[in-house]
Amino acid sequence: MTSSATQEDTRTEEVSGLADPWVTIVWNDPVNLMSYVAFVFESYFGHPQAEAHRLMMQVHEEGRAVVSTGPRERMEVDVQAMHGYGLWATLQQSGASGTEAGA
Amino acid sequence: MTPFRSTPAGFVARWAPVEREVLARVARDVADLLRADAGLPDDVTDADVADAGVAFTGVARVPRDPAVQRLLPDAHREDADVAAEFRHLTQTDLAAGKVARLRAFADTVDDGGAGAGSSDGQVVVARDTAQEFAGALTDVRLVLGERLGLDDDADVEHLHHEVLTGLGIVEDDDAEGADPDETDAAGLDAEQRSYWGGVFVAAGFAQESLMDELLAELRARGRGADE
Repeated sequence: MTSSATQEDTRTEEVSGLADPWVTIVWNDPVNLMSYVAFVFESYFGHPQAEAHRLMMQVHEEGRAVVSTGPRERMEVDVQAMHGYGLWATLQQSGASGTEAGA
Repeated sequence: MTPFRSTPAGFVARWAPVEREVLARVARDVADLLRADAGLPDDVTDADVADAGVAFTGVARVPRDPAVQRLLPDAHREDADVAAEFRHLTQTDLAAGKVARLRAFADTVDDGGAGAGSSDGQVVVARDTAQEFAGALTDVRLVLGERLGLDDDADVEHLHHEVLTGLGIVEDDDAEGADPDETDAAGLDAEQRSYWGGVFVAAGFAQESLMDELLAELRARGRGADE
């Protein structure tokens, strides 16, 4: 999973020049089905199947994944949508504890 | 219970009368629990929320029931102000949406309470409501999972094994002869655990087959759009 984590960090850095960058994090839970999580990532975020699968496996194996990055208001929309789907999601500033490479 | 299959009329499965009755009842119970614990007014509807706009948002409070907390979790892990503000802005809409789709799910499953004997045992989920149906199944499973004390993947695997063993579907390789009066870590006795475990597994089976079909159709549409 090292290579994919690096990929995610790179993407976070690309937008960190924007004012007020926040992230939406989806956390692992034992109840939600992998197929349901994949469906949410593909239908809501419009990810291709492979990217949705990668994020879903990251949630499952590492316990969490950053699924979107942007201004706080945008992340609140995403977190509300995830809660609507029944996924366990939070938002935080992208520089906060452990979500960024900090390079 | 048969898996959902895609048909021109929507996604169709065959559920036994008891499966329809129990899943519809659980969904209505979860809707009632959510409405009460999220601070929604009695019999609030989507239309009421739309009409009243922000009028209801002032009542949002942190749910007391851990199962409802799982349906309406804190949106920030460390910053209580961010979490409270998010809850204030979103909780009423989120809870009302969940209540509405749980009730719609129950009506689809038991024909609006008309009884489980109608429609030849078929549960027909229209294509344009399938995501909502799957979302209601998720909320039911999350609440049952909390009640059953399912904290990690191993707990879920163990429960599946217990349920399938109890049904005689798989052989019991570690029979312990549990005391029927003894309660588990979640405070359920053997009979309650077996019952709710069975409902949890059935809801998961239904959802898994529905998601397989929904994913297949979503991906087929995606390929069509690329061409």
